[in-house]
Amino acid sequence: MSGRVDGWRWAGRVFLVLILLFTAVPMVWMLLTSIKSQFAAMQYPPQWWPKEPTLQNYTKLLDPTNPVGNDFLRYMWNSFYVSLATTVLGVAVAVPAAYAFSRFRFPGRTFLFFAVLLRNMFPAVVFLMPLFILMRWLGLVGTHGSLILTYLTFGLPLSIWLLKGFYDNIPIQLEQAARIDGATRFQAFLLIVMPLSVPGILATSIFSFIGAWNEYVYAATFLNRQDQLTLPVGIQRFFAEFATDWPGLMAATFLMSVPVVVLFLVLQRYFVRALTEGAVKS
Amino acid sequence: MAVTSDPASGSLRRDDGLLRRIVAHRADYAYVLPALVVMMVVIAYPIWFTIDMSFYKTPASLQLRDRTFVGWKNYETILTAPAFWSVTLNTVIWTLASTFFAFLLGLGAALSLHREFAGRAVLRAILLIPYVISAVAASYLWKWLYHSDFGVIGALSVQWGFTDKPINFLDNIHTALPSLIVVNIWREFSFAMIMLMAGLQTVPEQLLRAAQVDGANAWQRFWHVTAPHLKGVSMVTVLLLMVANFNSFIVPYLMTGGGPAGASDIWITHIYQIAFGRQNWGLASAYSVILFIVMMCLGYFYVQALTRGDKGRPE
Repeated sequence: MSGRVDGWRWAGRVFLVLILLFTAVPMVWMLLTSIKSQFAAMQYPPQWWPKEPTLQNYTKLLDPTNPVGNDFLRYMWNSFYVSLATTVLGVAVAVPAAYAFSRFRFPGRTFLFFAVLLRNMFPAVVFLMPLFILMRWLGLVGTHGSLILTYLTFGLPLSIWLLKGFYDNIPIQLEQAARIDGATRFQAFLLIVMPLSVPGILATSIFSFIGAWNEYVYAATFLNRQDQLTLPVGIQRFFAEFATDWPGLMAATFLMSVPVVVLFLVLQRYFVRALTEGAVKS
Repeated sequence: MAVTSDPASGSLRRDDGLLRRIVAHRADYAYVLPALVVMMVVIAYPIWFTIDMSFYKTPASLQLRDRTFVGWKNYETILTAPAFWSVTLNTVIWTLASTFFAFLLGLGAALSLHREFAGRAVLRAILLIPYVISAVAASYLWKWLYHSDFGVIGALSVQWGFTDKPINFLDNIHTALPSLIVVNIWREFSFAMIMLMAGLQTVPEQLLRAAQVDGANAWQRFWHVTAPHLKGVSMVTVLLLMVANFNSFIVPYLMTGGGPAGASDIWITHIYQIAFGRQNWGLASAYSVILFIVMMCLGYFYVQALTRGDKGRPE
Protein backbone atom coordinates (compact mmCIF):
# COMPACT_ATOMS: atom_id res chain seq x y z
CA MET A 1 0.00 0.00 0.00
CA SER A 2 1.42 3.36 -0.97
CA GLY A 3 1.31 6.41 1.30
CA ARG A 4 -1.28 7.98 -0.98
CA VAL A 5 -3.78 5.23 -0.34
CA ASP A 6 -3.29 5.69 3.39
CA GLY A 7 -3.94 9.38 2.87
CA TRP A 8 -7.37 8.60 1.45
CA ARG A 9 -8.08 6.23 4.28
CA TRP A 10 -7.22 8.90 6.81
CA ALA A 11 -9.41 11.38 5.00
CA GLY A 12 -12.23 8.85 5.30
CA ARG A 13 -11.70 8.51 9.03
CA VAL A 14 -11.62 12.26 9.60
CA PHE A 15 -14.78 12.59 7.56
CA LEU A 16 -16.51 9.89 9.60
CA VAL A 17 -15.59 11.62 12.86
CA LEU A 18 -16.95 14.93 11.57
CA ILE A 19 -20.19 13.45 10.31
CA LEU A 20 -20.63 11.50 13.54
CA LEU A 21 -20.31 14.77 15.47
CA PHE A 22 -22.80 16.45 13.15
CA THR A 23 -25.27 13.61 13.72
CA ALA A 24 -24.74 12.93 17.40
CA VAL A 25 -24.10 16.34 19.00
CA PRO A 26 -27.69 17.58 18.48
CA MET A 27 -29.07 14.38 19.97
CA VAL A 28 -26.66 14.51 22.91
CA TRP A 29 -27.70 18.11 23.55
CA MET A 30 -31.33 17.02 23.54
CA LEU A 31 -30.55 14.44 26.24
CA LEU A 32 -28.48 16.87 28.31
CA THR A 33 -31.24 19.47 28.14
CA SER A 34 -33.85 16.93 29.14
CA ILE A 35 -32.09 16.26 32.46
CA LYS A 36 -31.89 19.93 33.40
CA SER A 37 -34.42 21.97 35.29
CA GLN A 38 -36.22 24.73 33.42
CA PHE A 39 -34.06 27.26 35.26
CA ALA A 40 -30.79 25.51 34.42
CA ALA A 41 -31.67 25.23 30.74
CA MET A 42 -32.45 28.91 30.31
CA GLN A 43 -29.01 30.30 31.04
CA TYR A 44 -26.47 32.17 29.02
CA PRO A 45 -23.80 30.99 28.57
CA PRO A 46 -25.35 27.52 28.77
CA GLN A 47 -24.43 24.95 31.39
CA TRP A 48 -22.48 22.67 29.09
CA TRP A 49 -22.86 19.84 31.56
CA PRO A 50 -25.91 19.83 33.85
CA LYS A 51 -24.75 20.92 37.32
CA GLU A 52 -27.70 19.28 39.04
CA PRO A 53 -28.97 16.55 36.73
CA THR A 54 -32.57 15.62 37.40
CA LEU A 55 -35.00 13.08 36.02
CA GLN A 56 -38.02 15.17 37.02
CA ASN A 57 -38.97 15.84 33.38
CA TYR A 58 -39.20 12.15 32.70
CA THR A 59 -40.98 11.20 35.92
CA LYS A 60 -43.50 13.95 35.25
CA LEU A 61 -44.23 12.66 31.74
CA LEU A 62 -44.49 9.03 32.76
CA ASP A 63 -46.57 9.56 35.89
CA PRO A 64 -50.26 8.83 35.17
CA THR A 65 -51.40 10.76 38.24
CA ASN A 66 -49.81 13.96 36.99
CA PRO A 67 -52.06 15.84 34.50
CA VAL A 68 -49.20 16.34 32.04
CA GLY A 69 -48.11 12.73 32.38
CA ASN A 70 -51.66 11.51 32.03
CA ASP A 71 -52.05 13.35 28.71
CA PHE A 72 -48.65 12.30 27.48
CA LEU A 73 -49.30 8.62 28.14
CA ARG A 74 -52.66 8.89 26.45
CA TYR A 75 -51.07 10.44 23.35
CA MET A 76 -48.53 7.66 23.35
CA TRP A 77 -51.27 5.04 23.53
CA ASN A 78 -53.18 6.77 20.70
CA SER A 79 -50.06 6.82 18.54
CA PHE A 80 -49.42 3.18 19.27
CA TYR A 81 -52.99 2.15 18.51
CA VAL A 82 -53.20 4.09 15.25
CA SER A 83 -49.76 2.92 14.06
CA LEU A 84 -50.45 -0.71 14.85
CA ALA A 85 -53.86 -0.73 13.17
CA THR A 86 -52.36 0.96 10.11
CA THR A 87 -49.57 -1.59 9.95
CA VAL A 88 -51.74 -4.67 10.30
CA LEU A 89 -54.36 -3.52 7.79
CA GLY A 90 -51.71 -2.20 5.43
CA VAL A 91 -49.85 -5.49 5.29
CA ALA A 92 -53.08 -7.42 4.82
CA VAL A 93 -53.96 -5.33 1.77
CA ALA A 94 -50.45 -4.99 0.36
CA VAL A 95 -49.45 -8.65 0.45
CA PRO A 96 -51.90 -9.97 -2.16
CA ALA A 97 -51.46 -6.90 -4.34
CA ALA A 98 -47.67 -7.13 -4.30
CA TYR A 99 -47.85 -10.84 -5.02
CA ALA A 100 -50.09 -10.23 -8.01
CA PHE A 101 -47.80 -7.51 -9.35
CA SER A 102 -44.84 -9.82 -8.98
CA ARG A 103 -46.33 -12.99 -10.44
CA PHE A 104 -49.30 -12.37 -12.68
CA ARG A 105 -49.28 -10.73 -16.09
CA PHE A 106 -52.78 -9.27 -16.20
CA PRO A 107 -53.62 -6.43 -18.59
CA GLY A 108 -52.94 -3.02 -17.08
CA ARG A 109 -50.41 -4.41 -14.64
CA THR A 110 -47.61 -1.98 -15.52
CA PHE A 111 -49.93 1.00 -15.60
CA LEU A 112 -51.49 0.17 -12.24
CA PHE A 113 -48.13 -0.50 -10.71
CA PHE A 114 -46.72 2.87 -11.64
CA ALA A 115 -49.94 4.60 -10.68
CA VAL A 116 -49.47 3.06 -7.26
CA LEU A 117 -45.87 4.20 -7.18
CA LEU A 118 -46.58 7.76 -8.26
CA ARG A 119 -48.95 8.15 -5.37
CA ASN A 120 -45.84 8.36 -3.24
CA MET A 121 -44.88 11.60 -4.85
CA PHE A 122 -47.79 13.75 -3.78
CA PRO A 123 -47.29 15.83 -0.67
CA ALA A 124 -49.71 15.44 2.20
CA VAL A 125 -50.63 19.10 2.32
CA VAL A 126 -52.33 19.22 -1.07
CA PHE A 127 -54.50 16.24 -0.15
CA LEU A 128 -55.52 17.69 3.19
CA MET A 129 -58.53 19.63 2.06
CA PRO A 130 -60.15 17.03 -0.23
CA LEU A 131 -59.50 14.30 2.31
CA PHE A 132 -60.94 16.42 5.07
CA ILE A 133 -64.13 16.84 3.03
CA LEU A 134 -64.13 13.12 2.23
CA MET A 135 -63.74 12.24 5.90
CA ARG A 136 -66.47 14.67 6.83
CA TRP A 137 -68.72 12.96 4.30
CA LEU A 138 -67.81 9.53 5.68
CA GLY A 139 -68.45 10.81 9.18
CA LEU A 140 -64.91 10.00 10.24
CA VAL A 141 -63.64 13.46 11.18
CA GLY A 142 -62.56 13.44 14.79
CA THR A 143 -62.01 9.69 14.89
CA HIS A 144 -58.88 7.60 14.72
CA GLY A 145 -60.49 5.81 11.78
CA SER A 146 -59.79 8.83 9.57
CA LEU A 147 -56.10 8.62 10.37
CA ILE A 148 -55.89 4.86 9.92
CA LEU A 149 -57.61 5.06 6.53
CA THR A 150 -55.35 7.90 5.40
CA TYR A 151 -52.12 6.34 6.64
CA LEU A 152 -53.14 3.08 5.04
CA THR A 153 -53.25 4.64 1.59
CA PHE A 154 -50.06 6.54 2.19
CA GLY A 155 -48.20 3.44 3.26
CA LEU A 156 -49.63 1.18 0.57
CA PRO A 157 -47.55 2.25 -2.44
CA LEU A 158 -44.31 1.81 -0.57
CA SER A 159 -45.46 -1.46 1.01
CA ILE A 160 -46.49 -2.91 -2.34
CA TRP A 161 -43.25 -1.79 -3.92
CA LEU A 162 -41.14 -3.32 -1.14
CA LEU A 163 -43.05 -6.59 -1.02
CA LYS A 164 -42.97 -6.97 -4.78
CA GLY A 165 -39.18 -6.82 -4.58
CA PHE A 166 -39.20 -9.65 -2.05
CA TYR A 167 -41.60 -11.78 -4.09
CA ASP A 168 -39.50 -11.25 -7.22
CA ASN A 169 -36.65 -12.95 -5.38
CA ILE A 170 -38.63 -16.05 -4.38
CA PRO A 171 -38.10 -18.71 -7.07
CA ILE A 172 -41.23 -19.40 -9.05
CA GLN A 173 -40.27 -23.07 -9.27
CA LEU A 174 -41.36 -23.58 -5.66
CA GLU A 175 -44.92 -22.68 -6.54
CA GLN A 176 -44.82 -24.62 -9.76
CA ALA A 177 -43.78 -27.70 -7.80
CA ALA A 178 -46.66 -27.15 -5.38
CA ARG A 179 -49.08 -26.76 -8.28
CA ILE A 180 -47.90 -30.03 -9.77
CA ASP A 181 -48.49 -31.66 -6.39
CA GLY A 182 -52.10 -30.52 -6.63
CA ALA A 183 -52.20 -27.25 -4.70
CA THR A 184 -54.44 -24.49 -6.03
CA ARG A 185 -52.87 -21.18 -6.95
CA PHE A 186 -54.10 -19.63 -3.72
CA GLN A 187 -52.83 -22.55 -1.64
CA ALA A 188 -49.41 -22.25 -3.23
CA PHE A 189 -49.40 -18.57 -2.34
CA LEU A 190 -50.58 -19.12 1.22
CA LEU A 191 -48.54 -22.19 2.15
CA ILE A 192 -45.36 -21.80 0.11
CA VAL A 193 -44.81 -18.13 -0.60
CA MET A 194 -46.16 -16.52 2.55
CA PRO A 195 -43.81 -18.27 5.00
CA LEU A 196 -40.85 -17.38 2.78
CA SER A 197 -41.80 -13.74 2.65
CA VAL A 198 -41.73 -13.16 6.41
CA PRO A 199 -38.59 -10.95 6.16
CA GLY A 200 -40.30 -8.84 3.53
CA ILE A 201 -43.42 -8.52 5.64
CA LEU A 202 -41.31 -7.51 8.64
CA ALA A 203 -39.47 -4.88 6.64
CA THR A 204 -42.73 -3.51 5.28
CA SER A 205 -44.28 -3.44 8.72
CA ILE A 206 -41.43 -1.41 10.18
CA PHE A 207 -41.78 1.22 7.48
CA SER A 208 -45.50 1.32 7.87
CA PHE A 209 -45.33 1.61 11.65
CA ILE A 210 -42.63 4.28 11.68
CA GLY A 211 -44.45 6.28 9.02
CA ALA A 212 -47.70 6.25 10.96
CA TRP A 213 -45.99 6.95 14.29
CA ASN A 214 -44.21 10.02 12.90
CA GLU A 215 -47.06 11.53 10.89
CA TYR A 216 -48.09 15.04 11.79
CA VAL A 217 -50.04 16.86 9.06
CA TYR A 218 -53.20 14.75 8.96
CA ALA A 219 -53.21 14.12 12.68
CA ALA A 220 -53.13 17.87 13.26
CA THR A 221 -56.10 18.42 10.93
CA PHE A 222 -58.46 15.47 11.36
CA LEU A 223 -58.53 15.20 15.13
CA ASN A 224 -60.26 17.76 17.24
CA ARG A 225 -60.56 16.37 20.75
CA GLN A 226 -57.68 16.82 23.14
CA ASP A 227 -57.77 13.21 24.36
CA GLN A 228 -57.52 11.78 20.82
CA LEU A 229 -54.28 13.45 19.79
CA THR A 230 -51.27 11.43 18.71
CA LEU A 231 -47.80 12.23 20.03
CA PRO A 232 -46.41 14.47 17.27
CA VAL A 233 -49.43 16.76 17.62
CA GLY A 234 -49.82 16.31 21.37
CA ILE A 235 -46.37 17.52 22.34
CA GLN A 236 -47.18 20.89 20.84
CA ARG A 237 -48.94 21.58 24.10
CA PHE A 238 -45.56 22.24 25.60
CA PHE A 239 -45.46 25.32 23.44
CA ALA A 240 -49.02 26.40 23.83
CA GLU A 241 -49.91 26.05 27.46
CA PHE A 242 -46.74 26.83 29.31
CA ALA A 243 -44.02 29.33 28.53
CA THR A 244 -42.07 26.88 26.41
CA ASP A 245 -40.76 24.27 28.79
CA TRP A 246 -37.70 23.32 26.74
CA PRO A 247 -36.34 20.59 29.04
CA GLY A 248 -39.83 19.06 29.21
CA LEU A 249 -40.18 19.29 25.44
CA MET A 250 -36.78 17.65 24.92
CA ALA A 251 -37.73 14.84 27.32
CA ALA A 252 -41.03 14.34 25.48
CA THR A 253 -39.26 14.39 22.11
CA PHE A 254 -36.81 11.82 23.39
CA LEU A 255 -39.56 9.53 24.69
CA MET A 256 -41.45 9.92 21.44
CA SER A 257 -38.39 8.81 19.48
CA VAL A 258 -37.56 5.80 21.66
CA PRO A 259 -40.06 3.32 20.14
CA VAL A 260 -39.10 3.99 16.52
CA VAL A 261 -35.38 3.99 17.27
CA VAL A 262 -35.65 0.71 19.20
CA LEU A 263 -37.74 -0.83 16.43
CA PHE A 264 -35.19 0.36 13.90
CA LEU A 265 -32.19 -0.95 15.87
CA VAL A 266 -33.74 -4.37 16.45
CA LEU A 267 -34.85 -4.85 12.85
CA GLN A 268 -32.09 -2.80 11.23
CA ARG A 269 -31.18 -5.46 8.71
CA TYR A 270 -34.69 -5.55 7.27
CA PHE A 271 -34.97 -1.79 7.37
CA VAL A 272 -31.82 -1.33 5.31
CA ARG A 273 -32.82 -4.04 2.90
CA ALA A 274 -36.24 -2.52 2.42
CA LEU A 275 -34.80 0.91 1.84
CA THR A 276 -32.53 -0.20 -0.96
CA GLU A 277 -34.80 -2.83 -2.47
CA GLY A 278 -35.52 -2.15 -6.10
CA ALA A 279 -33.06 0.71 -6.44
CA VAL A 280 -29.99 -1.50 -6.66
CA LYS A 281 -29.75 -4.21 -9.25
CA SER A 282 -26.81 -6.52 -9.07
CA MET B 1 -41.74 -15.01 -19.54
CA ALA B 2 -41.02 -17.83 -17.14
CA VAL B 3 -43.20 -16.14 -14.58
CA THR B 4 -46.64 -16.99 -15.92
CA SER B 5 -47.52 -18.89 -12.80
CA ASP B 6 -50.93 -19.90 -13.98
CA PRO B 7 -50.67 -22.65 -16.58
CA ALA B 8 -54.12 -21.73 -17.87
CA SER B 9 -53.00 -18.26 -18.82
CA GLY B 10 -49.83 -19.50 -20.44
CA SER B 11 -51.74 -20.40 -23.57
CA LEU B 12 -53.02 -16.87 -24.03
CA ARG B 13 -51.19 -14.78 -26.57
CA ARG B 14 -50.90 -11.04 -26.98
CA ASP B 15 -53.26 -10.96 -29.96
CA ASP B 16 -56.10 -12.56 -28.05
CA GLY B 17 -57.85 -9.25 -27.54
CA LEU B 18 -57.89 -7.08 -24.46
CA LEU B 19 -61.32 -8.13 -23.23
CA ARG B 20 -60.56 -11.83 -23.53
CA ARG B 21 -57.30 -11.35 -21.68
CA ILE B 22 -59.01 -9.38 -18.93
CA VAL B 23 -61.63 -12.11 -18.56
CA ALA B 24 -58.98 -14.82 -18.56
CA HIS B 25 -57.08 -12.99 -15.84
CA ARG B 26 -60.14 -12.05 -13.79
CA ALA B 27 -58.92 -13.99 -10.76
CA ASP B 28 -55.71 -11.94 -10.74
CA TYR B 29 -57.60 -8.75 -10.09
CA ALA B 30 -58.98 -10.13 -6.85
CA TYR B 31 -55.49 -9.86 -5.40
CA VAL B 32 -55.06 -6.19 -6.32
CA LEU B 33 -58.64 -5.14 -5.78
CA PRO B 34 -58.55 -4.23 -2.07
CA ALA B 35 -55.47 -2.08 -2.60
CA LEU B 36 -56.99 -0.43 -5.66
CA VAL B 37 -60.31 0.35 -4.01
CA VAL B 38 -58.67 2.00 -1.03
CA MET B 39 -56.31 3.97 -3.24
CA MET B 40 -58.98 5.07 -5.69
CA VAL B 41 -61.14 6.51 -2.95
CA VAL B 42 -58.37 8.33 -1.19
CA ILE B 43 -56.26 9.27 -4.22
CA ALA B 44 -58.30 9.57 -7.39
CA TYR B 45 -61.03 11.49 -5.63
CA PRO B 46 -58.73 14.13 -4.09
CA ILE B 47 -56.93 14.69 -7.38
CA TRP B 48 -60.18 15.15 -9.25
CA PHE B 49 -61.50 17.36 -6.47
CA THR B 50 -58.41 19.57 -6.53
CA ILE B 51 -58.45 20.04 -10.29
CA ASP B 52 -62.16 20.84 -10.23
CA MET B 53 -61.83 23.21 -7.30
CA SER B 54 -59.00 25.14 -8.94
CA PHE B 55 -61.51 26.75 -11.32
CA TYR B 56 -63.74 28.10 -8.56
CA LYS B 57 -63.79 30.86 -6.03
CA THR B 58 -64.89 29.43 -2.72
CA PRO B 59 -66.16 30.91 0.49
CA ALA B 60 -64.03 30.40 3.56
CA SER B 61 -66.55 28.07 5.16
CA LEU B 62 -65.83 25.25 2.69
CA GLN B 63 -69.56 25.06 1.92
CA LEU B 64 -69.21 23.87 -1.65
CA ARG B 65 -72.69 24.97 -2.69
CA ASP B 66 -71.66 28.60 -2.57
CA ARG B 67 -68.70 28.46 -4.90
CA THR B 68 -68.55 30.44 -8.13
CA PHE B 69 -66.88 29.45 -11.38
CA VAL B 70 -63.98 31.74 -12.28
CA GLY B 71 -62.22 29.84 -15.10
CA TRP B 72 -58.46 30.28 -15.24
CA LYS B 73 -58.48 33.28 -12.95
CA ASN B 74 -56.89 31.46 -10.00
CA TYR B 75 -53.97 30.42 -12.17
CA GLU B 76 -53.61 33.97 -13.42
CA THR B 77 -53.58 35.29 -9.86
CA ILE B 78 -50.85 32.87 -8.84
CA LEU B 79 -48.54 33.43 -11.79
CA THR B 80 -48.78 37.22 -11.63
CA ALA B 81 -48.36 37.56 -7.86
CA PRO B 82 -44.91 38.90 -6.95
CA ALA B 83 -44.75 36.39 -4.08
CA PHE B 84 -44.91 33.51 -6.56
CA TRP B 85 -41.42 34.06 -7.88
CA SER B 86 -39.77 34.58 -4.51
CA VAL B 87 -41.47 31.47 -3.14
CA THR B 88 -40.44 29.53 -6.25
CA LEU B 89 -36.85 30.70 -5.87
CA ASN B 90 -36.87 29.59 -2.22
CA THR B 91 -38.32 26.23 -3.26
CA VAL B 92 -35.61 25.72 -5.87
CA ILE B 93 -32.83 26.70 -3.46
CA TRP B 94 -34.31 24.55 -0.71
CA THR B 95 -34.76 21.49 -2.94
CA LEU B 96 -31.46 21.66 -4.78
CA ALA B 97 -29.26 22.64 -1.83
CA SER B 98 -30.77 20.01 0.48
CA THR B 99 -30.48 17.32 -2.18
CA PHE B 100 -26.96 18.26 -3.22
CA PHE B 101 -25.46 18.35 0.26
CA ALA B 102 -27.39 15.34 1.55
CA PHE B 103 -26.14 13.36 -1.43
CA LEU B 104 -22.57 14.60 -1.04
CA LEU B 105 -22.41 13.79 2.69
CA GLY B 106 -24.11 10.46 2.02
CA LEU B 107 -21.57 9.60 -0.66
CA GLY B 108 -18.66 10.52 1.60
CA ALA B 109 -20.09 8.46 4.44
CA ALA B 110 -20.80 5.48 2.17
CA LEU B 111 -17.28 5.47 0.74
CA SER B 112 -15.73 5.82 4.21
CA LEU B 113 -17.91 3.05 5.63
CA HIS B 114 -17.44 0.67 2.72
CA ARG B 115 -14.31 -0.94 4.17
CA GLU B 116 -14.93 -3.32 7.08
CA PHE B 117 -13.71 -2.07 10.48
CA ALA B 118 -14.58 -2.51 14.14
CA GLY B 119 -17.65 -0.52 15.11
CA ARG B 120 -18.80 0.00 11.52
CA ALA B 121 -22.28 -1.38 12.13
CA VAL B 122 -22.72 0.74 15.26
CA LEU B 123 -21.61 3.85 13.42
CA ARG B 124 -23.98 3.18 10.57
CA ALA B 125 -26.86 2.71 13.01
CA ILE B 126 -26.12 5.99 14.80
CA LEU B 127 -25.92 7.89 11.53
CA LEU B 128 -29.35 6.53 10.55
CA ILE B 129 -31.17 7.67 13.68
CA PRO B 130 -31.97 11.19 12.39
CA TYR B 131 -33.60 9.59 9.37
CA VAL B 132 -35.78 7.36 11.53
CA ILE B 133 -37.08 9.83 14.10
CA SER B 134 -39.99 12.04 13.18
CA ALA B 135 -39.59 15.38 11.45
CA VAL B 136 -41.53 16.84 14.36
CA ALA B 137 -38.88 15.67 16.83
CA ALA B 138 -36.11 16.96 14.57
CA SER B 139 -37.82 20.33 14.20
CA TYR B 140 -38.22 20.87 17.94
CA LEU B 141 -34.71 19.66 18.63
CA TRP B 142 -33.17 22.06 16.11
CA LYS B 143 -35.41 24.90 17.16
CA TRP B 144 -33.89 24.54 20.58
CA LEU B 145 -30.35 24.34 19.17
CA TYR B 146 -31.00 27.56 17.17
CA HIS B 147 -32.75 29.31 20.07
CA SER B 148 -31.99 33.03 19.96
CA ASP B 149 -31.06 33.41 23.64
CA PHE B 150 -30.20 29.99 25.00
CA GLY B 151 -29.37 28.03 21.86
CA VAL B 152 -26.21 25.99 21.93
CA ILE B 153 -25.18 26.93 18.37
CA GLY B 154 -25.30 30.64 19.10
CA ALA B 155 -23.40 30.15 22.36
CA LEU B 156 -20.72 28.08 20.63
CA SER B 157 -20.23 30.63 17.87
CA VAL B 158 -19.63 33.30 20.53
CA GLN B 159 -17.38 30.99 22.55
CA TRP B 160 -15.23 30.26 19.50
CA GLY B 161 -15.14 33.89 18.48
CA PHE B 162 -17.14 33.74 15.25
CA THR B 163 -19.64 36.34 16.40
CA ASP B 164 -19.94 38.88 19.22
CA LYS B 165 -23.39 37.83 20.31
CA PRO B 166 -25.68 34.88 19.54
CA ILE B 167 -27.30 35.04 16.11
CA ASN B 168 -31.04 34.82 15.85
CA PHE B 169 -30.83 32.15 13.16
CA LEU B 170 -34.50 31.54 12.51
CA ASP B 171 -35.62 35.15 12.72
CA ASN B 172 -33.16 36.64 10.24
CA ILE B 173 -34.05 36.80 6.54
CA HIS B 174 -30.51 35.85 5.54
CA THR B 175 -30.04 32.86 7.84
CA ALA B 176 -33.54 31.35 8.09
CA LEU B 177 -33.53 29.31 4.87
CA PRO B 178 -29.91 28.08 5.18
CA SER B 179 -30.60 27.09 8.81
CA LEU B 180 -33.57 24.99 7.72
CA ILE B 181 -31.53 23.40 4.94
CA VAL B 182 -28.99 22.26 7.55
CA VAL B 183 -31.78 20.52 9.46
CA ASN B 184 -32.94 18.85 6.28
CA ILE B 185 -29.43 17.63 5.47
CA TRP B 186 -29.09 16.32 9.01
CA ARG B 187 -32.26 14.31 8.55
CA GLU B 188 -31.63 12.97 5.08
CA PHE B 189 -27.98 12.38 4.35
CA SER B 190 -28.04 8.89 5.86
CA PHE B 191 -30.73 7.86 3.39
CA ALA B 192 -28.30 8.65 0.57
CA MET B 193 -25.60 6.87 2.55
CA ILE B 194 -27.61 3.64 2.81
CA MET B 195 -28.57 3.68 -0.85
CA LEU B 196 -25.01 4.30 -1.98
CA MET B 197 -23.59 1.67 0.40
CA ALA B 198 -25.87 -0.84 -1.28
CA GLY B 199 -24.71 0.48 -4.64
CA LEU B 200 -21.06 0.07 -3.68
CA GLN B 201 -21.65 -3.63 -3.08
CA THR B 202 -22.25 -4.05 -6.80
CA VAL B 203 -18.78 -2.77 -7.73
CA PRO B 204 -16.69 -5.84 -8.63
CA GLU B 205 -13.64 -6.09 -6.37
CA GLN B 206 -11.49 -7.61 -9.14
CA LEU B 207 -12.05 -4.60 -11.35
CA LEU B 208 -10.75 -2.27 -8.64
CA ARG B 209 -7.74 -4.48 -8.05
CA ALA B 210 -7.02 -4.71 -11.75
CA ALA B 211 -7.14 -0.94 -12.01
CA GLN B 212 -4.72 -0.69 -9.10
CA VAL B 213 -2.31 -3.11 -10.76
CA ASP B 214 -2.48 -0.98 -13.87
CA GLY B 215 -1.34 1.98 -11.81
CA ALA B 216 -4.61 3.88 -11.39
CA ASN B 217 -4.60 6.11 -8.30
CA ALA B 218 -7.44 6.24 -5.79
CA TRP B 219 -9.22 9.08 -7.56
CA GLN B 220 -8.93 7.40 -10.98
CA ARG B 221 -10.24 4.15 -9.53
CA PHE B 222 -13.20 5.96 -8.05
CA TRP B 223 -13.96 7.93 -11.18
CA HIS B 224 -13.46 5.20 -13.77
CA VAL B 225 -14.53 2.06 -11.91
CA THR B 226 -16.72 2.90 -8.90
CA ALA B 227 -18.66 5.90 -10.21
CA PRO B 228 -20.08 4.20 -13.34
CA HIS B 229 -21.45 1.42 -11.14
CA LEU B 230 -23.12 3.94 -8.85
CA LYS B 231 -24.86 5.81 -11.66
CA GLY B 232 -28.19 3.99 -11.51
CA VAL B 233 -28.60 4.04 -7.75
CA SER B 234 -27.43 7.67 -7.63
CA MET B 235 -30.15 8.73 -10.03
CA VAL B 236 -32.84 7.02 -8.02
CA THR B 237 -31.46 8.47 -4.78
CA VAL B 238 -31.23 12.02 -6.11
CA LEU B 239 -34.77 11.86 -7.49
CA LEU B 240 -36.20 10.46 -4.25
CA LEU B 241 -34.38 13.14 -2.26
CA MET B 242 -35.65 15.85 -4.60
CA VAL B 243 -39.23 14.63 -4.29
CA ALA B 244 -38.94 14.40 -0.51
CA ASN B 245 -37.41 17.88 -0.22
CA PHE B 246 -39.84 19.45 -2.64
CA ASN B 247 -42.67 17.99 -0.59
CA SER B 248 -41.30 18.59 2.88
CA PHE B 249 -43.59 20.59 5.05
CA ILE B 250 -43.04 19.84 8.71
CA VAL B 251 -39.56 21.30 9.14
CA PRO B 252 -40.27 24.72 7.62
CA TYR B 253 -43.79 24.85 9.03
CA LEU B 254 -42.84 24.05 12.62
CA MET B 255 -39.54 25.91 12.68
CA THR B 256 -40.26 29.22 10.94
CA GLY B 257 -43.74 28.93 9.44
CA GLY B 258 -42.22 30.31 6.22
CA GLY B 259 -40.99 33.47 7.92
CA PRO B 260 -39.51 35.89 8.60
CA ALA B 261 -41.22 37.93 5.89
CA GLY B 262 -41.49 34.89 3.63
CA ALA B 263 -37.73 34.31 3.67
CA SER B 264 -38.15 30.57 4.18
CA ASP B 265 -41.52 30.17 2.49
CA ILE B 266 -41.60 27.31 -0.01
CA TRP B 267 -44.46 26.08 -2.19
CA ILE B 268 -45.86 23.65 0.32
CA THR B 269 -45.91 26.05 3.26
CA HIS B 270 -47.27 28.74 0.96
CA ILE B 271 -50.13 26.49 -0.20
CA TYR B 272 -50.91 25.60 3.39
CA GLN B 273 -51.00 29.27 4.32
CA ILE B 274 -53.35 30.11 1.42
CA ALA B 275 -55.65 27.20 2.23
CA PHE B 276 -55.74 27.14 6.01
CA GLY B 277 -54.58 30.65 6.82
CA ARG B 278 -56.40 32.73 4.21
CA GLN B 279 -59.05 30.03 3.62
CA ASN B 280 -58.81 30.63 -0.11
CA TRP B 281 -59.44 27.04 -1.21
CA GLY B 282 -59.78 27.69 -4.94
CA LEU B 283 -56.45 29.47 -5.13
CA ALA B 284 -54.76 26.80 -3.02
CA SER B 285 -56.17 24.12 -5.33
CA ALA B 286 -54.82 25.87 -8.42
CA TYR B 287 -51.45 26.06 -6.71
CA SER B 288 -51.66 22.35 -5.96
CA VAL B 289 -52.41 21.57 -9.59
CA ILE B 290 -49.27 23.44 -10.68
CA LEU B 291 -47.39 21.43 -8.07
CA PHE B 292 -48.91 18.18 -9.41
CA ILE B 293 -47.56 19.01 -12.84
CA VAL B 294 -44.04 19.56 -11.51
CA MET B 295 -44.30 16.33 -9.53
CA MET B 296 -45.41 14.41 -12.59
CA CYS B 297 -42.30 15.58 -14.43
CA LEU B 298 -40.10 14.41 -11.57
CA GLY B 299 -42.17 11.23 -11.44
CA TYR B 300 -41.53 10.58 -15.10
CA PHE B 301 -37.78 10.67 -14.54
CA TYR B 302 -38.17 8.51 -11.45
CA VAL B 303 -39.99 5.79 -13.38
CA GLN B 304 -37.40 6.07 -16.14
CA ALA B 305 -34.57 5.65 -13.64
CA LEU B 306 -36.26 2.64 -12.07
CA THR B 307 -37.23 0.82 -15.26
CA ARG B 308 -33.85 1.43 -16.88
CA GLY B 309 -32.43 -1.35 -14.73
CA ASP B 310 -35.58 -3.43 -14.95
CA LYS B 311 -35.25 -4.17 -18.66
CA GLY B 312 -32.05 -6.12 -18.28
CA ARG B 313 -33.54 -8.09 -15.44
CA PRO B 314 -34.44 -11.70 -16.21
CA GLU B 315 -38.13 -12.20 -15.62
